[in-house]
Amino acid sequence: MPSSSPETDSRSDWTEKVLPTRLELIRDAEPEVLGRLRELGYSEDQRFAVRLAFEEAMVNAMKHGNRMDPALHVVLNYRILPDRIEIRVRDEGPGFEPHLVPDPTCDENLNRPCGRGIMLMRSYMDEISYAYEGREVCMVKYRKREGGSA
Amino acid sequence: MPDEKEIIQIFDRGGVKLARVRSDSILQESEVESFGRALIALAEVPGTRVVLSFLGVRQLTSLVLGKLILAHKRLVESGGELRLADIDPHIYEMFAITHLDRLFRIFEREDEAIASYHAAPEA
Repeated sequence: MPSSSPETDSRSDWTEKVLPTRLELIRDAEPEVLGRLRELGYSEDQRFAVRLAFEEAMVNAMKHGNRMDPALHVVLNYRILPDRIEIRVRDEGPGFEPHLVPDPTCDENLNRPCGRGIMLMRSYMDEISYAYEGREVCMVKYRKREGGSA
Repeated sequence: MPDEKEIIQIFDRGGVKLARVRSDSILQESEVESFGRALIALAEVPGTRVVLSFLGVRQLTSLVLGKLILAHKRLVESGGELRLADIDPHIYEMFAITHLDRLFRIFEREDEAIASYHAAPEA
């Protein structure tokens, strides 16, 4: 939950969902998040970016973090503000070191079927960081008005 | 008739296997697995040339990209090939970001991709 994250935030802004490790549950939270983004005027491109990063973070947490162990959970926290959305996804796995994940765009790695989720999250979100030895990913996407300014 | 549960429908187009995705998204685990199974099964016949059309697909994840890479490897190993077509601009951006636009031959439309198999090989 946000109160236990490195930053100090107002807890009242945040929505928390605790999900069992079941991939089919990932999309339960999506309509609420995407609907709110639409109401606040986030563009289609921005909603695509958030949806993709959200999916990738949740899949990573369940598959690579919790290793699909149904006894483990994923904790999702998000807050949607007029100027940005912040998403935090934490698993109960052993953690990992993001900088050790091979770059999937290197020629020698192009044929590797894994490792693209993190790259997509980095590309589509404006800020991304990790906490708790890699068990939590924190992502921020700013709402940009037409013309590109935040 | 294809199995209603299968996310990919396959047609024969003059010696080329045309695979069309039957959904506007490939997100659910069952869809991703069905997608991968159908493509990899095509590699069971050596030398199979495949065009995969993403017409109408608006959402997918990196899990799908992984399945595509596996299918591509299997097809190449068996003397075949996988070419892609009809990719939505948002989805194409995912290919570009991950440099998979360098791994796959990507065409605007499925008929162009099919025709490319019949074109004279480049010098």
